Amino acid sequence: MTEKELLLDVPVQPPTELFLPIPKKFLEEAYQGDDYLVLVGPQHPGSGHMRIIVRIKGDIIVEAIPDPGYVHRSIEKLAENRLYIQNIPLLERPAIMDTGNLTLGYVRAIESALDIEIPERAKYIRTVLAELSRIGTHLYDAGILAVFMGHTTGFMWPFALREPIVEAITRMSGARITASFVIPGGIRRDVPWNVLEFIRKTTFVIERRLKSFEKIFIRNPTVIARLKGVGVLSKEDAIKFGVVGPFLRASGVEYDVRKVEPYEAYEMLNWDIPVSDDGDSYSRFLVRVEEIAQSISIIRQAVNELRAMPEGNVISEDILADYSNASSDIRGYFFKVFGNLILPQGEYTALTEASRGTLLYSIISDGESNVPYRVRAVTPGWYYLKGFMEALRGERVADLQAIYGSFGYFPPEADR
Amino acid sequence: MVDLGLLGLTMQHFIDNMVSIPLIQPLIDYLLGIPVIGFVVAIILWRPMFALLIFPGLATLMTVLLFIIWFERKLTARIQWRRGPLEVLRWAEGIIQALADGLRYFFQEVIVHRDAHRPYFLQFPILIFIPVLLPLLFIPVGNIVGIRTPYALPITVAIVSLIPVFIVAIGWASNSRFAYIGTVREAFMYFAYEIPFILAVVSMILVYGTADMVTIVEKQSIPGIILNPIAALVFFISTVMATSRLPFEIPEADQEIAFGPFVEYSGIMFGLVMTIAYEKMYILSLLMSVLFLGGGNGPTIPLLGDLSAVIWMFIKTMVVMVALSFLRSIYARIRLDQALRISWTAMLQISLLAVAIGVVLNLANVV
Repeated sequence: MTEKELLLDVPVQPPTELFLPIPKKFLEEAYQGDDYLVLVGPQHPGSGHMRIIVRIKGDIIVEAIPDPGYVHRSIEKLAENRLYIQNIPLLERPAIMDTGNLTLGYVRAIESALDIEIPERAKYIRTVLAELSRIGTHLYDAGILAVFMGHTTGFMWPFALREPIVEAITRMSGARITASFVIPGGIRRDVPWNVLEFIRKTTFVIERRLKSFEKIFIRNPTVIARLKGVGVLSKEDAIKFGVVGPFLRASGVEYDVRKVEPYEAYEMLNWDIPVSDDGDSYSRFLVRVEEIAQSISIIRQAVNELRAMPEGNVISEDILADYSNASSDIRGYFFKVFGNLILPQGEYTALTEASRGTLLYSIISDGESNVPYRVRAVTPGWYYLKGFMEALRGERVADLQAIYGSFGYFPPEADR
Repeated sequence: MVDLGLLGLTMQHFIDNMVSIPLIQPLIDYLLGIPVIGFVVAIILWRPMFALLIFPGLATLMTVLLFIIWFERKLTARIQWRRGPLEVLRWAEGIIQALADGLRYFFQEVIVHRDAHRPYFLQFPILIFIPVLLPLLFIPVGNIVGIRTPYALPITVAIVSLIPVFIVAIGWASNSRFAYIGTVREAFMYFAYEIPFILAVVSMILVYGTADMVTIVEKQSIPGIILNPIAALVFFISTVMATSRLPFEIPEADQEIAFGPFVEYSGIMFGLVMTIAYEKMYILSLLMSVLFLGGGNGPTIPLLGDLSAVIWMFIKTMVVMVALSFLRSIYARIRLDQALRISWTAMLQISLLAVAIGVVLNLANVV
């Protein structure tokens, strides 16, 4: 029997009506005037999917309306059905390189609920992990910014530079990107001296390679021409629209959660907040470049402190209770210790300075179940989306990509 | 001897004007003695036909296309801490990667979308080869030249200027939003580089006092780049703009408008339109080596005879092309308005300066 080719007469027509998440009146207004609408995205060569509906007059953007949510993963709802400890791997998923900071925020909220003090050594190791994540994220964003402007070398170099950081995180935690290394009461296991030495050497590698990156990308005349004076966000506007993190500091506001409400080992270490007054795309980029230098300095200081400390004891006695022999490595005791973790009734909030800005976690517990009643996670991308859209106003269409890259906007992080 | 009496062409006619290569002269003599093959060899080695088929024509064009695409990828990869193409012909570092890509394009389906103007959509990528290949007839290599005319340079410039018209037509036939924006950008870029480009060529015509490229090459005891470096600079930047290399890769910006005018092409049609920029780059590099680098001038290698000019010309052209390839890995793309501003202010000014230098050198009768 030979198979016959079957032809099904199913008429396939593309949809004729376009759904747009904006009021119909707005659409009609735009079409009746000189303006027209351009849909940028949801697929575009950036990071993750997101649509921007741009209203254009000639070559100038009159208004930009964001249409986020294409990579929404409902982690807040998922978090309501998992044990507190199972939420850690879930909540570090939004951003690629930012594992240290995202888990730190959630864990600190739990710690504030349980009111436990964590060992000194764990604080320093958490700081090292958070700063490694910060360098990784900033390098990732620099690469995306470069590819938005067609600079392929500026894309490849930061991604290659990210690799030593990924290796350092692997040696600390065993996972390349999703470390899940921070747990309530401390960290999963102690970091031996040879790994700390590797991390210290990694900082020198990154510092040396960043100098050549500076020559080819940061000081490149075409890059400066594309970024300088583009997408300016004044100090007042930045505050009004609730911009956070390095993008707020690029507009001249000296605000950093690590300084304002210090956590972990940040107040014991010596570092500065990089601030710029210009508020344009180039300063948003430069502030993050300078933050990499500060992070390198923080990591070196923290590693020096860690060398002087005795090894072991990285998990708080308060949370270990009877299992105090697990204080340097939680393996084998994980579910014994955390399986029945129940927070007292109430709402607990922690502010953290993640790589892209302020990160807020709010946990509401009913006091009797071992899963949270509600977890509210507000990632920095969601905070500065409004400021991003305002920065687009009055710029050229070709600048949209440059401003997008300068904000390091990462849709999976903002959509959660 | 074969005699084409009807056309008034005898084999002797070709042999009289044949490329002389002393190294393989015995072999050529032997082949000429064989009835049919001899005639074919005589035609191929006939100087105008040699220019058309071997250098700077078809064979070299294909080799250069294969090589420069591979070389560009390899160079970019080396700069970016990567390996680049490798798997196709591994022992030669993947040098036939472009050929493999071409084969793949050849067996892919060519999709013509519903909104396209079907005849033009399919014709233009093929028709565009007319302005791309015609200039090869006028570019001399030593005494090998397709058509020698005192108007060689104006004709070449005029034909090269036709290429953007075809690209605009391609974008129009595609009838897509991205293609439309890319077409407009292409038109703007055409306005941006055309005038400085023509002024640079005019200044060199003034310097040499002739537009015949054979005479221009003969007169270059001092290379043109030393006589009029500003014109060389303007010509180089115009070449970058004309071939839409970074930092002026504005019409094809793949992050913004996804290859602009060529967005709707697929299969072998995409393969054809993709090579246009490289072919244009080859033509303009040849023109640059004729105008500024002394064309086929160089120490004569007696054994190679006429081929020594070919080799010098090839080396000079490849140097220009490699310099153009290098730009891809060091620059970001600038904005359209910035490119226009550069060309209508700085570049126009220095191209006028180049013309002034040309006038001075012409009056002083230096060359």
